[in-house]
Amino acid sequence: MYGEQGNKLVVDAKRTQNLPHLPPYATTQVRAVTKEVRDLDREVNTLLAPYTSTSSQASDGTPIKSSSFNPADDPATACNLLVNHLSMRRNKRCLLSYHKTRTDKLEEMAWAGIEGGPAFTSTPSSQGQQTRGSGGSTAESLSAEEEQYMHAYGNLLAAFKGQWTDIDLTGSLDPPKDVFVDVRVLKDAGEIQTEYGSINLTKNSQFFVRLVDVEGLIRMGYLQQLS
Amino acid sequence: MDDIDDILASVSRPQTSQRALDLQALTRGWINERASPDLLPYPSSLLDRVMERLKKQIEAIEEMTGTMDPKSNFTLVITQTELERFKFLVRSLLRARIVKIDKFPLHYRSLVSERPDLLSTVEQQYLTSHQALLSNHFNASFLQHFPQSLRRLDDTAGGNGMVDKPDEDTAVFCRVLRDVVQPIEVHGEVGANEVELKRGDVWVLRWSSIRDLVKTGDVEMV
Repeated sequence: MYGEQGNKLVVDAKRTQNLPHLPPYATTQVRAVTKEVRDLDREVNTLLAPYTSTSSQASDGTPIKSSSFNPADDPATACNLLVNHLSMRRNKRCLLSYHKTRTDKLEEMAWAGIEGGPAFTSTPSSQGQQTRGSGGSTAESLSAEEEQYMHAYGNLLAAFKGQWTDIDLTGSLDPPKDVFVDVRVLKDAGEIQTEYGSINLTKNSQFFVRLVDVEGLIRMGYLQQLS
Repeated sequence: MDDIDDILASVSRPQTSQRALDLQALTRGWINERASPDLLPYPSSLLDRVMERLKKQIEAIEEMTGTMDPKSNFTLVITQTELERFKFLVRSLLRARIVKIDKFPLHYRSLVSERPDLLSTVEQQYLTSHQALLSNHFNASFLQHFPQSLRRLDDTAGGNGMVDKPDEDTAVFCRVLRDVVQPIEVHGEVGANEVELKRGDVWVLRWSSIRDLVKTGDVEMV
């Protein structure tokens, strides 16, 4: 009671910040905190009930509640109300920060291009072997709402990027040094088209290619850049 | 004599091309944006010019690779390097702006109406849709079960505002590009004091006291 559950969420969120992947969504925790808020709200209403009178009706038909409660008359009840109110607000903040931490993490993934596109919308069974690395475990640890959010944010990001096609907004944020780089192929990536013709990327082969052509593949772990 | 002084000055100054000026402005804008705690106005005309030139250069490169002339190969590498560097500058600038927009979304959303030059149209769209997505997500996840009075996301009641703002009093490093006539006031532990900014000086000052000077270009960040 009184924020204890919420604190667990905050601790969890704090831990999430430093993790490379997203831990599973704390459904029970979130429900418990939400329930606590509802309980507290009910208690507040019960406490205030004797003082409240529905005297008049607003223009849209909802009754306007006027309270005759005077904190000075009954400090004990006033204190009780205050604590309840503060706990509710605190719980809300805890929930918000928990969810925000997670969405931040999801956004970071979307920017880094590891959302995997269809991996989040398709059912786990149809993904099969397409799932790379932590992609599969991330999809499982999301709540349904988070999956939706991730999908929607991916679309938003794609739309935003679409306005800057020449720049490639999700490209590397390190200052470029060389136009051409040596890369080694770690995993078969098939054939890619460049302005100098097509290159067949078979495992363990080595190429001298234009960095912009293979940047995405390096990020996804198909290629390794040799310095 | 006073009237023609600046005309004379502009004539005797070595001619710098618009392209070089744009590069300088872009680099400066990029550093300023990365170093300042607050969002700076969106440099729309500058970015339009740069993007236009980038497009031309990409076309030129495609043409040069098409001909495969051995003589043009060296020029090609140089042009491509330049292109990549420009792309990096613009990308980094835009990303720095997005980070700030995402960090203080409600604050900037409330500012947009009074300062339309702050965000580009695309950035405004991004801000609005992103906020819509977030509030939808929060609503679906837990807020819908909350009592009506606690569902807002921009609540300022309870002595604890939900709208986060950039810290305007944080200290920043800056270099003075033009003498500033009006000495600026700084508030330290010992009380108010005045600082005169002379060209070439480097200072550590509060962002709030040099913010307007950065926008006019009298001061740049380092």
